[in-house]
Amino acid sequence: MGSPCELVCECVKRGDASELSQLAAEEAWRIEDKFSRYTGGSAVARINEANGEAITVDDETADLLDFAATLFELSDARFDITSGVLRHIWSFDGGTKIPRQADIETVRQNIGWSRVAWHRPELQMPKGMEIDLGGIGKEYAVDRAAKRLREEGAPPCLVNFGGDLATTAAPRVRRSWRVGIEGKTPDAPERRIDLRQGALATSGDARRFLEKDGVRYSHILDPRTGWPVPDAPRSITVAAESCTQAGMISTLAMLKGAEAEGFLEAQNVRWWCYR
Amino acid sequence: MTRTIGFLAAALLLCGGCSSMGVEPWDRDILAMEEMQLTTDELEAATDDHIYFSKEASSGGRGFGGGGCGCN
Amino acid sequence: MSRTEGNKPISAALAAATCSLLGSAIPTQVDAQEPSDWDFNTSILYYGEDNDRVEDFSVKAIARRMFVDDRSLSLGMTVDVLTGATPNGAIKQDVVQTFTRPSGNGFYSVGPGELPLDDTFKDTRVALTANWQQPVGDTSLVNIGGSVSSEYDYTHLGINAKVARDFNQRNTTVSAGLAYSMDDLDPVGGAPMPLTPMLDVGDTSNRMGDQDKDVLDVVLGVTQVVSRTLVVQANYSYSYSDGYLTDPYKVLSLVDGVTGDTLLRTGGIPVEGGPSHQFLFESRPDERTKHSLYTQAKYYVDGKVLDISYRFMTDDWEIDSHTVDLRYRWPLAGDSYIEPHLRFYTQSEAEFYLLSIDNSQPLPRYASNDYRLGDFDGITAGLKYGWRTGAGNDMSVRVEWYQQSGTVPGSQIIGNQANRDNYPDLNALIVQFGYRF
Repeated sequence: MGSPCELVCECVKRGDASELSQLAAEEAWRIEDKFSRYTGGSAVARINEANGEAITVDDETADLLDFAATLFELSDARFDITSGVLRHIWSFDGGTKIPRQADIETVRQNIGWSRVAWHRPELQMPKGMEIDLGGIGKEYAVDRAAKRLREEGAPPCLVNFGGDLATTAAPRVRRSWRVGIEGKTPDAPERRIDLRQGALATSGDARRFLEKDGVRYSHILDPRTGWPVPDAPRSITVAAESCTQAGMISTLAMLKGAEAEGFLEAQNVRWWCYR
Repeated sequence: MTRTIGFLAAALLLCGGCSSMGVEPWDRDILAMEEMQLTTDELEAATDDHIYFSKEASSGGRGFGGGGCGCN
Repeated sequence: MSRTEGNKPISAALAAATCSLLGSAIPTQVDAQEPSDWDFNTSILYYGEDNDRVEDFSVKAIARRMFVDDRSLSLGMTVDVLTGATPNGAIKQDVVQTFTRPSGNGFYSVGPGELPLDDTFKDTRVALTANWQQPVGDTSLVNIGGSVSSEYDYTHLGINAKVARDFNQRNTTVSAGLAYSMDDLDPVGGAPMPLTPMLDVGDTSNRMGDQDKDVLDVVLGVTQVVSRTLVVQANYSYSYSDGYLTDPYKVLSLVDGVTGDTLLRTGGIPVEGGPSHQFLFESRPDERTKHSLYTQAKYYVDGKVLDISYRFMTDDWEIDSHTVDLRYRWPLAGDSYIEPHLRFYTQSEAEFYLLSIDNSQPLPRYASNDYRLGDFDGITAGLKYGWRTGAGNDMSVRVEWYQQSGTVPGSQIIGNQANRDNYPDLNALIVQFGYRF
């Protein structure tokens, strides 16, 4: 998952807590192994190595691809799982290295979900294109882990994978789970949220950025231009019924840059936005 | 007065045996519940303290109340 | 990219897509709130005794502001409106009795066989409290506070401080507290000189000026977590009062040593009015030292919480008291609960408690027929119901019945007094609404 994951649960025994953590972890590892582009043999790796050939995918992968396709439409092409190739030229390490426009244009040739032939269960991409499910994967894993725990009849738990979290049920012993949202500087909780039910997801990261000539470039890239989204907020947190939904709304808001707040207002969810 | 000392000694003995009693920090779920606090409702406790202070010769015990009045 | 696109609501479409992805409807609603920095606790109280005695209507509010690091400021206010009558300390007679009002400006009558009640007792009291809580280091907590109250004939000013320290992984907490009060009394008409007679209307020759009283309280306590479901507390309190401790409005009847009947006044009652019989104003010592031991346990069993406490008090007025308080909180569906309550109280009379003053004996140094210093038992039985409102706030209502019944020591009953019910038993109804938000 690339970030610390934890499970908070209302349990009687330490042994029970261990077992439940194991369940949640197994689900997280399963999804990571299946959808990580780094893991050889994973569903995504197979797709990216297809070299223009058509690939048949299983139901879970197909569901994720359908979801990605819907997001592509809903976001007017701002959310595009084929935009992962931009990582070859952009590295957000706090440094000052900005890629040249020519390089950006070259990479943009390989971006564009509309060029992908997706007819469930077959996916065919032109050579040179890649898909990256990193934008959906973590939130999806949170929801899957929560679902697994509910199915096992677990006591109320809070699944927290690196700041994307979901409750399995409202806590019984206390009024709500207490969550802190990181503010402008890491390690200082800016706001506290009492989450009783639902999920929270946060987009944006105070740590990943570039800065050159007094201009700060966030790591949220607009696939339509190949450049970082201008005027993107530093971070957006959204509360919704599921982590996937919360995550997607916060991501789409980020992609709207200067209009993030306007977009969030229109969505009828609780949101917190920092610039 | 001797009765007082007797009670005080009993209370201190209770404390002496207490150094190994208790729970681990992760077992405090029930103790953290609002209804398990020693004073669950501050206003209700203050109200009762005041009523009984006005109608009886004893007062307090839990701590001290907010102030005197012309009632006793 | 340069065209400004509208912000369309996509929630519904996204929710549907997520539903397909996750394979099932999400069984949760969203409840994510930013907690307020402020916490308010408010209540409205009605207290009413039967037989036209005291009635109190009270509004209370405490506002608490939380700061980072567990520091907090709390501000409290109480307004009490008191009406009704209270026993004035004289005993019943088979004839009409008249008394001069405490102000000296009027008189009131009491029928034959009636308990003499003084209804000059209408007052509004306002009290304010402030408290600052400050953690010190990882395991200590300091509280500093002040209080002020004011009513027609009484003002109070107090300060208090408390220090608490945790040990044994916060399983044990030791605390020490100190409170000091400086109270001023300005009784209506002026405080009467102790054991002097009640005089006619307009005669304030036996009155003194303002009075004051200081009280020092010390509390030492230990709280101990015994198990995951049991926590206990023990407190020792010491209280020292110094100053005017007498009730300026209360009298004792001066009675015949054989018949026990209240002596009639000498000479006729003037036109403006005056007492029909002989009454002497009460007198209490000007010092009082109290010791209390209080223990409490809260026990969680199967979702329910039992709260049980015992307090023993003894003082140098020779009053001993025992208090046992039991509450049982029973959670119900939907974040609501029911809590029955029982309280048992018993006290022995003060050394100077006296039903009436025997005219054939030397005058005692101190004497009071205040029923609150007598030998009585009190029982409270009540029920509280609490629930959570739609907005997530707590509301509660409780109804309680408090009954006091006392006895006068046999040795104090003289002659005809034996035929009467001499102790003013008390029956009070308590109704309180609470709202926290």
